[in-house]
Amino acid sequence: MSERRRRAARRALGALVIALLAVAVGAATAGGERTQVGHLIVSLDGGLAPLALPRDHPAPVAVRLAGGLRTTDGTLLPRVTRVELSLPGQGILDTHGLPVCPARRLRAATTSGALAACRDALVGRGRLKAQVHVPNQPAFAVHAKLLAFNGKVRGRRAVIFHGFAANPPTVVVLPFLLRLETGRLRTRLVADLPPELGPWPHFAQFEVNLFRRFRFHGRERSYLSASCPIPKQFTAGFFSFAKASFTLAGGRRVGTSITRSCRAR
Amino acid sequence: MTRIVSIAALMALLGAAAALAAEPPTRAEYVGQLEAICKPDAAATQVAMRGARGDLQAERLGVATTKFSKAARIFGGTVKRIAAVPRPPADEAKLGKWFGLLERQESYLRQITAQLRGGKAIKAQRLTARFIHSGNLANNVVLAFGFDYCSFKFSRYG
Repeated sequence: MSERRRRAARRALGALVIALLAVAVGAATAGGERTQVGHLIVSLDGGLAPLALPRDHPAPVAVRLAGGLRTTDGTLLPRVTRVELSLPGQGILDTHGLPVCPARRLRAATTSGALAACRDALVGRGRLKAQVHVPNQPAFAVHAKLLAFNGKVRGRRAVIFHGFAANPPTVVVLPFLLRLETGRLRTRLVADLPPELGPWPHFAQFEVNLFRRFRFHGRERSYLSASCPIPKQFTAGFFSFAKASFTLAGGRRVGTSITRSCRAR
Repeated sequence: MTRIVSIAALMALLGAAAALAAEPPTRAEYVGQLEAICKPDAAATQVAMRGARGDLQAERLGVATTKFSKAARIFGGTVKRIAAVPRPPADEAKLGKWFGLLERQESYLRQITAQLRGGKAIKAQRLTARFIHSGNLANNVVLAFGFDYCSFKFSRYG
């Protein structure tokens, strides 16, 4: 494989990992909610497991997010400069006592290498599929495995995504900074994409599952926890579950959000 | 003679104007017209539904019911007004399906209000699921239109 193709694949993967987190995903994502702006379609799907949760205190949960960014006419995707993934504020993201993986340990690592270096900090797994268009060359597909690690960037909590594709050999490490803001979806993961990633990704599907149980000071903890705080007379509730926003080169933003339910136990 | 010519010219002009007015809108024009109608109603829905979640949480069903009732009225009014806007002929079938789903949503909102008024929380809960599902289906039907204010957004409902 030529160095040019490899570089293009790396760029594509980088942009998509970002988008991925940004939209986070799985095998085939035709489902979920979609929004179209011009010729660009943003999709987002996902959910909580288990669905049945206590009304009054948080319990460990896994979060699945899946989505994609594509164009209706097959043209190249615009360059994405920032990806934001927002989750409900009533969910808890607990990293207290969870080992931290420095991003430098992941650079140039395969999936097994990344696991060997940072397994203690693993908080999720996923997949990514990208179709890459390099000028004057036929399009080719990149299938990457994703790993998510607990990390820190400039002293702030982060989720560090590591994407690896065997063919062409491609590694991308992308940190999403954790921001706690106001509003309903106030847990926000934000990744700024370096401009050198370029506009290569033509079509992308991705999936990520975040889940981690760990022990700290003899106590069982969960990376993610949530409750289903609904009134006694109801058995289920609906809530804004996630929102994915992409800032495109030029400043335009596109995004979509999804609504999900929980059951009280 | 001059008068007859002038009247004929005027008639021709009026005829042309009428033909222009009757010309169906393009999709872009149609979206623009609908968004102008939906925008204030979307804001009004948000105002009407503000705090409804908290009201249900605090078991103030009466207050929540009033808010749902207002939202249902706004929703119904919006659907009525946008349904009256001439549609692009090429999109007739798609829009017919969309309006069908919007009417279904309106009906669910009214039923939710009625069930809450009767203190039947579980029935209201089931109808809410259908209301959201229909909204998502409706959004998918007109995805290519790129609606913002006229698309269903759960976050507007408290």
